[in-house]
Amino acid sequence: MTENTTQLVVETHELGKRYGDRIQAVDGLSLNVRRGEVYGFLGPNGAGKTTTLRMLLGLIRPTTGSALVLGAKPGTSRALARLGSLIETPTFYPYLSGRDNLRVLARYARVPESRIATVLADVDLAGRAGDRFRTYSLGMKQRLGIAAALLKDPELLILDEPTNGMDPAGMAEMRPFIRSLGRGDRTVLLSSHLMGEVEQVCDRVGVISQGSLVGEGTVDELRGREGLWLRAEPLGEAQRLLADFRGVEEVERDDDGLRIAAEPAAAVEINRALVEAGIAVSELRPERPSLEKVFLELTNAEEEA
Amino acid sequence: MIRIVSAELLLLGKRASTWILLGIWAALALTFAYVVPYVQYTNDPSRASLAELLPESLVGTLMAGFPFFGGVLALMLGVLTIGSEYGWGTLRTLFTQGPGRLQVFGAKLIAIAATLGMFVLVAYALGVVSSLAIAAAEGANVTWPSAWLLFRGLAGGWLIFAAWAALGMLLAILTRGTALATGIGILYAFVIEGLFSALAGEISVLDRLVEFFVRANGYSLVAVLGVSPDDVGDRGPGSFSGPFVGGSQATLVLAAYTAVFVVVAAWLLRRRDVV
Repeated sequence: MTENTTQLVVETHELGKRYGDRIQAVDGLSLNVRRGEVYGFLGPNGAGKTTTLRMLLGLIRPTTGSALVLGAKPGTSRALARLGSLIETPTFYPYLSGRDNLRVLARYARVPESRIATVLADVDLAGRAGDRFRTYSLGMKQRLGIAAALLKDPELLILDEPTNGMDPAGMAEMRPFIRSLGRGDRTVLLSSHLMGEVEQVCDRVGVISQGSLVGEGTVDELRGREGLWLRAEPLGEAQRLLADFRGVEEVERDDDGLRIAAEPAAAVEINRALVEAGIAVSELRPERPSLEKVFLELTNAEEEA
Repeated sequence: MIRIVSAELLLLGKRASTWILLGIWAALALTFAYVVPYVQYTNDPSRASLAELLPESLVGTLMAGFPFFGGVLALMLGVLTIGSEYGWGTLRTLFTQGPGRLQVFGAKLIAIAATLGMFVLVAYALGVVSSLAIAAAEGANVTWPSAWLLFRGLAGGWLIFAAWAALGMLLAILTRGTALATGIGILYAFVIEGLFSALAGEISVLDRLVEFFVRANGYSLVAVLGVSPDDVGDRGPGSFSGPFVGGSQATLVLAAYTAVFVVVAAWLLRRRDVV
């Protein structure tokens, strides 16, 4: 917890959760989410994302470490009064209408019931608000979950897979909406395993694997510098030649080509040198690892370790 | 707290099971307190007493059903009030709104206490209407029980319900659901207490033990209010033939059970992870 605490909305220090002797769901997780950012919490299924978010909400107790949410202990009224959340599938009373469900929550959260119409309109659910929750599609349930999370007009929104179950059109619509929620002072902590969603929506990303944080930064930082990608014949000879080439920092095999750590502007010189050496170049283009590739590298490395 | 309680009352009020249980309770109370005995009386006046069906006997006539099927219905209401929250996952929704877990539990307790009060009042209202109708049909004089007896009847009925409902809530929290909690509750009410009660006359040590059972104290409480021990000893699966304890002990034991069930339930709810 080294950063200025007034700017940190979520701070965890060596947070851990163990179930029995065998399952270490979260392991020494130190996470800092800054005020006003949309923070993506990225990880494969079973990585410990939901367990972490549940600890931040005070629903489950950590076995090790500590956390502060909005400067308060997780699960305290001081923290909960200023945050809204949607954890996994939205959970509401099936026999109540969407509006009545929000009415119950508004009374619990001590929020004026006039907010209900606003949040229903925000998620475009006003037309079906009078129908029972049990009749809603998964996408509508998800939207009601987001409406409930917004009831308190919270400083911090914790959203766990918010586009889960939505059709492509609904997902496309929801992403800019989530992005807009993070404007101004509001902070959004978004858990997802969808790379596209995280790339489009998040300012910073933390990658979690097997309960530990294995990477953190902006999407650009995680993807690293732009380099070059080469397909040539014979490939081994091209690799040997480029290993000592001026301006090339590193060359590594990548499937059936070479990934070259060099400025894209060096492509002309590299191409000339390869052709002059009698190497047939079939493809040479600027390349940047996708977030998905980085994600797989980070999480696979952790699994192998 | 008032807004949270109003939320809980909204939940109970809009839930079909609340009204279904109330309907079953009202139908059973009316049928076994007035309809069946009155049919018996009209068929063969020597087999039933008209005096028990008149307004003066209102408390004693109505109370026999409270420790038996009334208790089981209260247990089910207690189970459903909190057990369903586990099934639907709504407990975590409530626990993330702001109020602490004990406040949430407190609001549920108040709402269920009010609902149980309504159950008691509905039974008494039906009893008043039925006994007046029978008195009118038979041309009998209308005399009402004393206000003190009426108050004790209402309070005693509520206390019996409260003990069973609190047991239901505790079982629902222990088992994190409704099905197992309902099964265990009914098994305890009918089978375990029933078997121990039946054996109590033969094994003296059980006699003392049964005196501290929920059902034994419920029946003892209604016996003090005018229910005939012979009458409850001849009620099929809900029969209870003793041992009976004094009214004060019954009141204290039921209140103690209610308090213990509530405290243990609150402790568990506050302490355990909600997944």
